[in-house]
Amino acid sequence: MKVGFFVGCNTAFNRPDLEQAVRYAFPALGIELDNLEGQSCCPSWGTMPSVDVVGWCAVGARNHTIAEEKGLDILTVCGSCYGSLAESKYKMDINPEVKASVNEILKKIGREYKGTSKVRLAHYYLYHELGPDRIREALKHRLDGLTVALQPGCHTLWPSKVYYDKEEDPFHPRVLKEMCEALGATVGYYTRLLDCCGMGAMRSTDMEKAFKLVEKKLVSMKEEVNPDLIVTGCSSCLIQFDTAQEFLRSGKKINFEIPVLHFMQILALCLGADREQVTGLAKTDVGPVVNRILAG
Amino acid sequence: MSNVQVATGVINLSEGDPGLVNEIKELGGEELLECIQCAKCAAACPMVLAGFSFFNKRVIHAILLGLRDALLDDSSIWACQSCNRCTEVCPREVNPFEIIQAMRRVAIREFALPTLSIEGLKSLYDTGHAVYLAGAGSTRAKVGLPDKPPSTVANLEALKELQAIIRQTALADLGIIPMGESDVTETCEV
Repeated sequence: MKVGFFVGCNTAFNRPDLEQAVRYAFPALGIELDNLEGQSCCPSWGTMPSVDVVGWCAVGARNHTIAEEKGLDILTVCGSCYGSLAESKYKMDINPEVKASVNEILKKIGREYKGTSKVRLAHYYLYHELGPDRIREALKHRLDGLTVALQPGCHTLWPSKVYYDKEEDPFHPRVLKEMCEALGATVGYYTRLLDCCGMGAMRSTDMEKAFKLVEKKLVSMKEEVNPDLIVTGCSSCLIQFDTAQEFLRSGKKINFEIPVLHFMQILALCLGADREQVTGLAKTDVGPVVNRILAG
Repeated sequence: MSNVQVATGVINLSEGDPGLVNEIKELGGEELLECIQCAKCAAACPMVLAGFSFFNKRVIHAILLGLRDALLDDSSIWACQSCNRCTEVCPREVNPFEIIQAMRRVAIREFALPTLSIEGLKSLYDTGHAVYLAGAGSTRAKVGLPDKPPSTVANLEALKELQAIIRQTALADLGIIPMGESDVTETCEV
């Protein structure tokens, strides 16, 4: 099995420990990663998608064609990359005019968008291609005795029509929960599970308002689950939950800290990865919970 | 909304711009007129929860009333998370997210875009990444990775391909960012 790893911006430059986690975990599970050499930004929402549809799709399509030439699907750990790439693909696949305009542009660099590669989010890919049981069998460490709260991530769920890997009901997501349970964790439900974390355009536009959202989520998690760890399915959510807590504490909005990791970082730890390489850039103190995972 | 409008709470409908509806439809918001203002989208929107003046339902309402300046003077449209809860729940398949994007496209054509978006576009053109940290090499090395990811920042030919594409898009016609030949040096964090 082989898949093209689309690393994106935030993972490559802000949280390369998450990139390293993907580069460790997939081969450890017998899945080869292709680098998709020459990939660019997805492009993110505040850039080309905010200028026009064809330009958005053209930049996206160049990335798609890199994977298409190799006959591979595109794999991401970032909700924004996942959403932008899946939406550009959807637009080109359902609208022949958009596709034709994009291919007119791509012709200048000798490329053509065909629509043959799918866009996949890492944990959904593993859920569907391997399944929780095969992952469970490969573990060297487990999360037995640990309680986690989940942050699935907006773009992993909506709009469901553009995604290949679907939840049965995107307002009652199960994939991240079942994957964490496969690692041995107890997954607690909290009422603000589906809320947005506030990262991204909102945080860039108004940090105070964006932090209100992550505060509401953190308080809901703490009161209703009191988790040992927050597990995200998106690199942007990871950055938001990992960096916002210190601000909220210094502003006396919260009086606790919950360590935060992306699902792929925890999976990599459970498969035997070096802890510094796959979790070393966390701002929250993940040390004690990583110790417990490595002892489990 | 202008100060007068805020102070009086009155919107003068005769000052509305009837051309705005067509602009939105041409820039990707094709289903605009399907909206029945039922507010399912608002009930699902993070911007409502965070307290922004405009969010999906209100943006659509303001567009239908032609309140161009009210929308351009407010930063709300740029705070949309593109989360697409609204697209999922809309019973009329209006795709409210795409209408907010279309309103951004209107704003950009009037150069009414946030500095961060300009920087993001510039960084995308110059490096291939909207978010790029020139100093990330040492962070990457710390976790055992090469200085650069296998993207346009490590592959000049790929960057030139991307730039050739961007020069063919509407962005080039708008003249918001310089589009010359450049090397990867700048830092941008959006």
